[in-house]
Amino acid sequence: MRRWVLVGFMVVLAGCTEPPQETGFAGLAGVAKNESGVPFLQPGPGERLTFPDDFGPHPQHRIEWWYLTANLETSDGEPLGLQWTQFRQAITPRSANAEPPAADTWPLEAAWMAHAAVSFDTRHYFAEKLARGDVGHAGAQAEPLAVWLDDWQLEAGSWKEPWRLQVAEDGWSYDLTLRVNGDPVAHGDNGFSAKSADGEGSMYFSLVDLQIEGTVTLGDRTLNVTGKGWFDREWSSQFLKSGQQGWDWFALHLDSGDKLMAFRLREQESGFRSGTWIPDDGKPVALQPDQLRLRPANPGNEGFPRQWRLEVPDYGVELEVSAPPGDYLNSGLYPYWESPVTVAGSHSGEGYMELTGYGD
Amino acid sequence: MTLLAALFSHYRRHPLQLLALATMIVLATMLWTGVYHLTSQARASLDQSESAVAERQQVTREDGTRMTVADFVELRRAGLCVMPWLEVSSPEGGRLVGVDPLAAGCFEQPASEEAPWQGELDGRPFVDISEAAELVREQAGQLSLLISDAGSIGGLPAGYRLAPFRVGPDTGELGDSFLLNLDALGVLVLLITALLVRSVYLLGMAQRRDSFALLHRFGVPQSRVNRLLVVEILLLALVCIVPGIWLGRWLATGLGSGFGQALEGLFDQSLYAGQGGNWLVPLATMLAVVLVACLADFLRPLARRLVGGNRRSGGSVLLMLVAGLALSVWVMDLLWLFVAVAMVFVAAGILAPGLIAWLADRRAESDRDLQARWRHRELSVLARRLALPLVALQFAMAMVLAVQALVTTFEGTFDRWLAQRLEADFYIEVPETGDLAPALDWLAAQPELAASGLWHRVIRGRATLPGGEDRTGTNVDVFALGPVGPLVTDWQLFESTPQPWQGLQQGEGVMVNEQLARRHGVRVGQNLTVVLGGQSIEFPVLAVYPDYGRPAGEILVNASMLPPDFTIGFQSLSVSPGNLSIDTVTDELRRIWQVEELTVRDNRAIKELASAIFDQTFLLTRAMTTLTLILAAIALLMMGWVFFSTRAWYFRLLVVWGLSRRQASAQLIRLSVALTGAIALLALPLGIWLTWVLVHRINPIAFGWSLPMAVYPEFWLELGVLSLLIGLCIALLMSRQLKSPTVAPVNANALAGGDR
Amino acid sequence: MVDSLLRARGLNKQFRSGNEPVQVFRDLSLRLDEGDSLALTGRSGSGKSTLLNILCGLEKPDAGLVEVLGETFDSRKPEVPAKNEARWGNLRRQRIGVVFQEANLMPALSLLDNVRFRARLAGQSEEECQDWLERLGIGELADRFPDQVSGGQRQRAALAMVFAMKPALILADEPTGSLDRQTAEAVIGQLFELQARHGCGLILATHDPELAARCGRHLDLGHLSET
Repeated sequence: MRRWVLVGFMVVLAGCTEPPQETGFAGLAGVAKNESGVPFLQPGPGERLTFPDDFGPHPQHRIEWWYLTANLETSDGEPLGLQWTQFRQAITPRSANAEPPAADTWPLEAAWMAHAAVSFDTRHYFAEKLARGDVGHAGAQAEPLAVWLDDWQLEAGSWKEPWRLQVAEDGWSYDLTLRVNGDPVAHGDNGFSAKSADGEGSMYFSLVDLQIEGTVTLGDRTLNVTGKGWFDREWSSQFLKSGQQGWDWFALHLDSGDKLMAFRLREQESGFRSGTWIPDDGKPVALQPDQLRLRPANPGNEGFPRQWRLEVPDYGVELEVSAPPGDYLNSGLYPYWESPVTVAGSHSGEGYMELTGYGD
Repeated sequence: MTLLAALFSHYRRHPLQLLALATMIVLATMLWTGVYHLTSQARASLDQSESAVAERQQVTREDGTRMTVADFVELRRAGLCVMPWLEVSSPEGGRLVGVDPLAAGCFEQPASEEAPWQGELDGRPFVDISEAAELVREQAGQLSLLISDAGSIGGLPAGYRLAPFRVGPDTGELGDSFLLNLDALGVLVLLITALLVRSVYLLGMAQRRDSFALLHRFGVPQSRVNRLLVVEILLLALVCIVPGIWLGRWLATGLGSGFGQALEGLFDQSLYAGQGGNWLVPLATMLAVVLVACLADFLRPLARRLVGGNRRSGGSVLLMLVAGLALSVWVMDLLWLFVAVAMVFVAAGILAPGLIAWLADRRAESDRDLQARWRHRELSVLARRLALPLVALQFAMAMVLAVQALVTTFEGTFDRWLAQRLEADFYIEVPETGDLAPALDWLAAQPELAASGLWHRVIRGRATLPGGEDRTGTNVDVFALGPVGPLVTDWQLFESTPQPWQGLQQGEGVMVNEQLARRHGVRVGQNLTVVLGGQSIEFPVLAVYPDYGRPAGEILVNASMLPPDFTIGFQSLSVSPGNLSIDTVTDELRRIWQVEELTVRDNRAIKELASAIFDQTFLLTRAMTTLTLILAAIALLMMGWVFFSTRAWYFRLLVVWGLSRRQASAQLIRLSVALTGAIALLALPLGIWLTWVLVHRINPIAFGWSLPMAVYPEFWLELGVLSLLIGLCIALLMSRQLKSPTVAPVNANALAGGDR
Repeated sequence: MVDSLLRARGLNKQFRSGNEPVQVFRDLSLRLDEGDSLALTGRSGSGKSTLLNILCGLEKPDAGLVEVLGETFDSRKPEVPAKNEARWGNLRRQRIGVVFQEANLMPALSLLDNVRFRARLAGQSEEECQDWLERLGIGELADRFPDQVSGGQRQRAALAMVFAMKPALILADEPTGSLDRQTAEAVIGQLFELQARHGCGLILATHDPELAARCGRHLDLGHLSET
């Protein structure tokens, strides 16, 4: 969803401020300037990741997100899917070392949006929050790690220490502890993840092995949960190309211990595919478009495809990915599909799937 | 060739006639859709305005210091749904409210309604809070933190408390009344639309009289032709209604831009009409209107059979007019009042063209000058032949007159209503622990206040009027004040004893609000027994005061007359400090009452804000009626032109007989201007009567209180000028036809051009 | 020598039908003396009505000269159109009576009022108007309106109107074209009788050869030859 949501998000903000940049191809976004002459930066090949700084915000980029999906299990062994995401949308770029504007001017240089969802027993709970940046009730920082919007927050002494994630909504909430295993996985070219054949893209890394435990409260039921999670950080300054209709994204934990991230950006004729194969005992491999096959199992059907075929022949991967029964539409300002999935075929496993742009 | 094709072949030979017919249906649909859309907008705007001034909760600090952005952040991080509300003076005058649409996202709105600070902010008076914050640098602003009802359940962090928040006083039934009137006008527009469609249909029928005669001669039964005509008109309606609806919506929504800018010049303000409304209602309504307008011929014999067979005569129509007028004065029931309005309009519609024709014929008889006689005879023909579009214009003008008066009345009433509710510049709540006596002494002792300022105290509570059928009595509100001074003495009173305010000051009696006077038949001069506290006291009634929109009965008494055991619901001071600074007053009161914080309301700011919030509603209503008038004028213009064309041959005879084209044109101008001028004159009494019904009859019957009625002769003049302009346009269009040498009399008779 | 009432020389007129110019007549000349009658014949569309319109100033020729009742209208001489229009207007008001096939009367005026209207415009007294109606045999219908009388009676009223203005020249365009034969005979008889009695000129456009034969002279626009 990531991009799609932000394209629309921008439109809302446009009501408040200057018109947004071209929402189609934004390859030139890197030179889009505001009045103070600070341009939006556009990631490119060769750019490198920096830790822990890159866990914090990138005010000179137009869009970014902190994105957690988790495949959990209750003490009764029932599966429970969970999502938490916080987006930052810049309206005016600001260089990373510049002072933020004073809070009492109620600035509108950036806006935040947070999504939280729990998928359990065919039901889907979703909530959305919005806030303007630089006022203080929403923000992010690298160290100590903190990402917050109102009373939803992710906190940790540093990214390597245990994280605590708290979300409370009318009638449901969760409070989780996350332990990070392994190093950040840099996607694409050392973190530069291409998003079209022409080379536009974003900076993108993931923590793919999070051990999670905590509680999820639904109504008056509090469930103890454990399981694994996947955390993405991504930032860029450009949106979907004008021809791109939507996005299908998968993050899978295979029972073999291997992990797989794959996405495709749909276009009229074909689309752009990319992914990362993360073997249990080796280095992550960026998958080239021709190494990856991804298609709905029943292409004729209307709406969001619930079953997919995902193949990476080079690694003997032939998967059937399916969403459980239920409706997993995140019906916020910009609806999209976000559901846990189960994996069968050459490997078994579980993971998360996100679909946008199916004309809902 | 099928019969339908044969029928339609008339239009193949006369495509312009078909075009005129189609254009009229499109225009009529456009009118109704546009008005429907604007009415919906005005309704939504009123809802928004009312939701903007509705009472809400705010969070304040217990230590009385002002709220800051840090408080906002703390409350939000504590999980409370609060929203900033930053009120500042606008550099262009008036008040602006800065809000944060992103923070407002958590505010629940009932039934998909948008609050005025959600969605697009249009600056009336809501702006993005960053804009307002910029203004705060130059002038003081006040930050309030509103909290949603749902958000206040969880409990506040320490150091904060809840307090009521309100932008303006409750509009009560004032808004409902406005909407009822708007609905009544909507029905009227529908009637006008039906008249326009019907006139087009009849014109089409007249134009095709020859074709029908021919078909009849070929042996096609009349009923079959009729059936096919219905099919034809339905097809045509369907084809034309859809673009009409589209145009109507375009017109209404275009108010934000192109067309709106033209109107902006007219109103000196910009209009904002968002998207909304649906397609189905205008589509269904217009189809029904077209069907009724065109099937009226089939219904008429049926109706005649029901009524008893007689053709309507002038006498019975006159009777209906008189009966309608009488009913409108006497009935005490909304339904009957609407029946009366319908009767008067139907009668006026039938009588007006006949009256013009009759007067023109009488004039013609006495004319010695044959050109004048010819002109008056022609006028009589025109009045009869163009009866329907003329009546449509008459109704539209009457409606515009009424709406103009109504909207101006509402605006005026609104101002007066605000002035009455916010009688002084400042309003200071007396804390529960506060003793009023030393405060009153101090206020009375201030020389500046006595010289230039005004103040009184207000006590509110409840009283009972004994009696009534169930013997429990009637509860009424008590509004007690003192001293009685210029803050209230300029109120307009409906009825009063010779010196009512003096009487009130001296405690000689009470005043009652209109609602109480109407509902309980309380009259000035009579004695009213009131149970105040434990005592039953008899007061003479000194006056009846207007109390626009308040649904409850109320009595106004001098505060000194309240017995000691009267339960005080609420106490406050109303102060217009004059030369004295309000801060001096509040500082002293704080000292006297030993409190850290006082609730002080700046009534002037509230007034400005409330006015700004409601302006849009009135603006949209005016736009709606202007639109009606413009389209009714265009309709008459078109019909007039089509009909004049059928008489072009005869007008050209004037040239054949030796008049120059200029002289012939002058005759045409006098003719058409006389026609439109006459209809404007006839619209005047109808419009004034309609205003009277809306303001003085419908409102009291529906709500128990009346609006003041005013008339606006300058506006009548404007309408008169407009009607003359329409007449001029018709004449100019016709004069162009005089040039053409190829005008033929051939189908003049077929077109009923030979009528007299 | 008798002065000619009307003289036309070298009249040209063409219409545009789409983009095609259609020649109505070219280099047409004619002359009419006091008391003379001239029949214009020719098939439909041969330009009879156009010629009559030109001879009373309701239409302009593309080229040519018209001298009528002492006024000269020459297409080669540039003149202010309004001035020409006023001269033609004066002629039609006072001296040239025009009768069309139908609809010669204002429908909203009675027969008598129509005649009086016309007479008043011509500067003639209204006194004789009733006489004229009676002379044409419709005196008792004076207060009727045009739609209350027959077509023949309407055309008689039209003749009454024309004679009430005491014209020097009458232009009649198929004046009996919409009447039945018997009525037409009667109306045309009255027209010729009165024309002869008052000595005014008459140009009569008709497609009826018998009627044409009753005129002194005959111009066939179909062949453009005067016989």
